[in-house]
Amino acid sequence: MGITVDVAYKSFNKFGEVLCGDKVEMLKTEDSNIVILADGMGSGVKANILATLTSKILGTMFLNGATLEECVETIVDTLPICQVRKVAYSTFSILQVFHNGEAYLVEFDNPGCIFIRDGQLVPIPRNIRVIQDKKINEFRFQVKKGDALLLMSDGTIHAGVGQLLNFGWLWEDIAAYALKQYEKTISAARLANAVCQACDELYMYRPGDDTTVAAMRIIDAKPVHLMTGPAADKADDQRMVADFMSGDENTKRIVCGGTSANIVSRILGKPLDVSMEYVDPEIPPIAYIDGLELVTEGVLTLNRVVKLIRRYAGDNSITEDLFLELDKKNGASMVAKMLLEDCTELHLYVGKAINGAYQNPGLPFDLGIRQNLVEQLKKAVEDTGKQVTVTYY
Amino acid sequence: MRVTICIGSACHLKGSRDVISKMQEMVAQNGLIDKVDLNGAFCSGNCVKEGVCVTVDGELFSVKPEDTENFFHKEILGRL
Repeated sequence: MGITVDVAYKSFNKFGEVLCGDKVEMLKTEDSNIVILADGMGSGVKANILATLTSKILGTMFLNGATLEECVETIVDTLPICQVRKVAYSTFSILQVFHNGEAYLVEFDNPGCIFIRDGQLVPIPRNIRVIQDKKINEFRFQVKKGDALLLMSDGTIHAGVGQLLNFGWLWEDIAAYALKQYEKTISAARLANAVCQACDELYMYRPGDDTTVAAMRIIDAKPVHLMTGPAADKADDQRMVADFMSGDENTKRIVCGGTSANIVSRILGKPLDVSMEYVDPEIPPIAYIDGLELVTEGVLTLNRVVKLIRRYAGDNSITEDLFLELDKKNGASMVAKMLLEDCTELHLYVGKAINGAYQNPGLPFDLGIRQNLVEQLKKAVEDTGKQVTVTYY
Repeated sequence: MRVTICIGSACHLKGSRDVISKMQEMVAQNGLIDKVDLNGAFCSGNCVKEGVCVTVDGELFSVKPEDTENFFHKEILGRL
């Protein structure tokens, strides 16, 4: 059974701090996905180091098959001891979801994981184990399609404490809010962002503590096929389009490139309808071919797509601004949105033909850079945690 | 009359957007919306020319943004 996950997180730093004292690690093993959220004691540099060490040690050891006991021992022995408080301390949550649907949750002193299934909250049972004097909650369960799980640092439940809210934002209220957002949002990124944003508002945009939400949604595999550029040898057009059109009914298909679009239209025998509506002056209008999700111009659009995806994949940078940009109706935003929010694996079908007309020094932009762009796109999408394959023709 | 204007990468960089907006404006001003059918098109493989690729009933022209007005008078009004 192929369980696929969509994972993302969002952090706000404590007001005035440059570094975040929470750290999220997102990892993949051959048969599972792992999310680790660590919250270092204090704030700023010290907290950042504690959280980074904790999440990295847990991640590395888990990947190599260490037991929970070994992980915790290593953390206790490794973390530097705070001069002021004389303790070494970082809370953590670990969520591992296997492709067969088995899930394993470990929690140490973070606010409890929010578990949403079928539009309801599912309580996580207490099952405490004591390792090195630390009380650690363990939970093994099965996930199914549609489930969502949220890990948080305590900056969330402290939101607004003493100011807008007497006792901060209670876990129950956060969970109820998350449930509402779950219904309204399509991706893990938007879910994490919505809950974190609400915390920031309750803090009146001056978070009193580092605040982090990591979200995981259990989804169907959503393959996207993207074709760009004509094949080097025209005789391969047919094969290239056939490969591009392969896949089941869940597969979405994008063509980026005018000549490619003409080829697809010709081979499928379906008309190409090119719009003249310039939504964005820098991005040529999109086009339509019946049965394909998106048809756009090539290199100029892809260039912008790479920029948008890099903004998303960059450290911690999912912001409301970026979502507004992704919701725009120009070709590049539409491609980027599909790759970021409606895709779990990307297959690129890339033609190596060189367009003679583009070898023109009079043009203000180097159009002969398709293959380079494809490499950049592959890297950027991989950095968002997705698998990418490239086939050249 | 069917007119297509290329919006492919190369033509875009040579000013498709200007050519389109000027053509739309002139078609409207001259009350020709019913007679002239403006369409976008992708690369037809003729981008070596200096201007934007425009076809009028299948015949290919190369139009620079600053020449759009002349082109409209000559090739579109001239043929109606």
